[in-house]
Amino acid sequence: MRIEPEITGVLIELTPMERRLLTTLLAQYDELVHDQLDDGDLAGDPALARLFPNAYPDDEEAAAEFRRYTRDGLVERKAANSGRISAALMASSDDERITVARDDAEHWLPALTDLRLVLAERLGIHRDSDPIPANELGDVYEWLGELQWALVEALD
Amino acid sequence: MVVVAQLVERWLVVPDVAGSSPVIHPMDVASSPVLSSTDLERDTTTDSRVAPDVPWQTIVWNDPVNLMSYVTHVFRSYFGYSKAEAERLMLQVHNDGRSVVATGPREEMERHTEAMHEYGLWATVDRAS
Repeated sequence: MRIEPEITGVLIELTPMERRLLTTLLAQYDELVHDQLDDGDLAGDPALARLFPNAYPDDEEAAAEFRRYTRDGLVERKAANSGRISAALMASSDDERITVARDDAEHWLPALTDLRLVLAERLGIHRDSDPIPANELGDVYEWLGELQWALVEALD
Repeated sequence: MVVVAQLVERWLVVPDVAGSSPVIHPMDVASSPVLSSTDLERDTTTDSRVAPDVPWQTIVWNDPVNLMSYVTHVFRSYFGYSKAEAERLMLQVHNDGRSVVATGPREEMERHTEAMHEYGLWATVDRAS
């Protein structure tokens, strides 16, 4: 992975394996998020509570109303954010460096955060002091964090 | 690639890692003491007689996932805060567990909260104290 700021955006260089990993994660993420269109309650999967937090933890009625008014739009925009990454990956060949416009890169950031939120749930990372498990999934989690960190650096 | 395929497969199906220990949502951990005080406050203020112009707040809570630089970046690009102010709020989230990032009418605070959720930050709406 190599990230460099450019005048109009960010230059992103990923290995073929990193690209495949990201593509697969995003496809699964889209599936997870889209399930939300049919199912308003989050009891099923605690990862969803991280993607769609309760806006009123001490007011059930207001929380439900907030969900009703915001969920579909959030699902749509979250899917659109991840779609920007997928589209950039699809539009370039495996060994090609990707030049992402600033505006596009801004939309990469929340999608990368969401991937990390779901992985954190799977890895049992619930508070700052929880260690990142030393396994492949933990490595993916850290890699996504490095990618996001470098993108923020390049954009700031 | 085999390795990648395996770990990706574990992603959607909740792996044993999470199941082996009791699942504690960050909401339960970080907010319990705050929740009780908020409850007390709400008992006296969620009253129809309260003036409609009582301000509301958007609160961002600490989470173990989001990078400090990203949170600062979000506060700068979404709210238009200066770098110094965005960093102050980010550090408040990090050190105190939460920060009031905006105050104003309820609908506006809900819009901000929705935006924070899009950014993947843990945000809630509450009455200003």
